[in-house]
Parts: sequence; C-alpha cells; structure tokens
Amino acid sequence: MTANRPWIDRLVEGAARQLARRTSRRGMLARLGAALVGAAALPLLPVARAATEDPRMPPPDDSKLEGAVGDPTSCAYWRHCAIDGFLCACCGGSQNACPPGTEMSPVTWIGTCRHPGDGRDYIISYNDCCGQSLCLRCRCTRTEGEKPVYFTSRNNDLLWCFGTKSRAVHCSVAIVLGVATRS
Amino acid sequence: MTRPHAAAVLAAAVGLAAGRAGAMSGPPLDYTLACAGCHRADGGGTPGSIPPLAGSVARFLRVAGGREFLARVPGVAQAPLDDAALAGVLNWMLARFDPAHLPAGFVPYDAAEVGRLRHEPLIDVEGVRERLLEAIGHRRFSP
Repeated sequence: MTANRPWIDRLVEGAARQLARRTSRRGMLARLGAALVGAAALPLLPVARAATEDPRMPPPDDSKLEGAVGDPTSCAYWRHCAIDGFLCACCGGSQNACPPGTEMSPVTWIGTCRHPGDGRDYIISYNDCCGQSLCLRCRCTRTEGEKPVYFTSRNNDLLWCFGTKSRAVHCSVAIVLGVATRS
Repeated sequence: MTRPHAAAVLAAAVGLAAGRAGAMSGPPLDYTLACAGCHRADGGGTPGSIPPLAGSVARFLRVAGGREFLARVPGVAQAPLDDAALAGVLNWMLARFDPAHLPAGFVPYDAAEVGRLRHEPLIDVEGVRERLLEAIGHRRFSP
C-alpha cells in the first residue's frame, strides 16, 4: 500500500518519523517553556533598570482595597494620583507594562502616591508607552503633587516619549519604584 | 541544564512582576524624585537626550569651573530642593555614580556653597559645558 501513496505523503511521513526519533518531546516543551518565560520577562526589563539597590520590601497589597481605588483600569486607582493620559491597563497592557507593540519611555516623571491600605507614600514612575497613536480609552488626569510646567520634571502635561524610537504616545503606566520613608 | 535555567528565568520574572519596592529616604529619595526621571535610577541617562552621570559626573571636579558648573547647571540649580538637601544629593551622586573620578581630597558641597552657586544663573549652558568637556578631554560625551 505504501507504494501507492503520493510521493509527498511518503516524504512527510518519513520526515515526521525521523523528527520523532531524534527529538524528545519533554526537551522541546522545556525549551519552548523557557523561551516563553524569557519573552515574558523582556517587557519588564525597563522596570528592572528603574529598580534600586535599596533593601527589598514587599509590594503594596492591593487585594484588600475595595472599589475603584484598587482597580488599575480606574482613574481613581491609588497609583494614578498624578497621572495624565490613557491608562495602559485599558489599552492591552497593565499598570506596570506597556501594551504589545509599544515601547516604554526610559525618561519619565516621578512622584509619590499614598496607598489607601497601608498609608505609606510610594514612589511612582509614570512612564509613557510610545510607538502607536493615542489609545483613547480610560482618559485620566489627576494632579496631586504636580508642579507647573516650568518644573518640567514634575509636570504631567508633557509627552514623555523621550529616548524611544517613536515620539507618538499611546498610554501611560504607573510603576512602583519604592516607598518614601520621609514624612 | 534546561530546567534550572528556566526556573531561574521564571524566578526573575516573578520577582520583577511582583514589583518589589525598596525603602528610600534622604539623598537617594531626593535623587529619585527630582533627578531620576531623566538621569534614571542607575545614572545612565538616555543617549541622545540626557547626559549620563555614571562614570562621568565627577570628571567635572577635575577642571577649573567644573565644581561650580555642577551646582549651577539648570537641572541642579532649579531642583525643588532646599540648599542643604541639594548639597546632599550632589555629594551622594558623585560618590554613587562616579567614585573612580572623585579627586583625592574632594571637599563635599555644603548648603552655603550650593545656595550661593545656584543663585548665579548659568545663561550659556551649552557653551560652558562644551568648554569644560574640552578641558576634561572628553568632547564626545553623549549626548
């Protein structure tokens, strides 16, 4: 019967059997898993660079926050106390990560927001995600601690797509860099 | 080898995703709030936009006028910090980001010196910077 099958059928079967003999399924799965996890870590690298060498502390616990202050897709989310832009959590990203296809600006503006659960002041970096047109979902403008535009480093009216391939701003993230212990 | 490697990557990814936060106070906190947005947490700057501090900032102390420049450059002079805090950040930055170029016998900035210098506006910032870089012998600082 084999001889009666089309040549392409035999070729594919032979190749498939050879592949199955030579490779381990578990090995392939392990390598694929490692690649996937590695790829997942890549978008977080700018966060790693922003991190400090100070003693590590547990992240603020949002799980006990009720309502909008604990919801990253809400303008009332506690980290958004001085954000101005479209929330990346509504645009295919999260409060920490840019949506696929955009690049996080390494240049940013930094302020503090008080966590409603533990009452501490956390240092928040508002990074723009750049490279696509405006997201236009979840527009949010809050101004706690914001300074007039002549304090450019503390003003959120500016577009912060500096040091990126594109100056087009898509949305903004709010990354916790640490906790400020000065009262 | 594959499994330990994957486990290490996973642990790193989880650690980052957890967003662990360090406690900060004093000059590191002031640096983070007033400077790190542009110069970045590691002092690396952004090529083409923001000059790096790491490995270069203390070179200014080795040429005439450099010490004054560091306190008069607009990002420093106009930082929303009082004189004492600003002096603290300057001293901390020099030691943290460029200890190798810190001259022997470096006298730390104090509030009085910084207060005096930051009130002398630096009009031709680029020109002064260019002349200092030339004196240092590193014209090709980025940007």
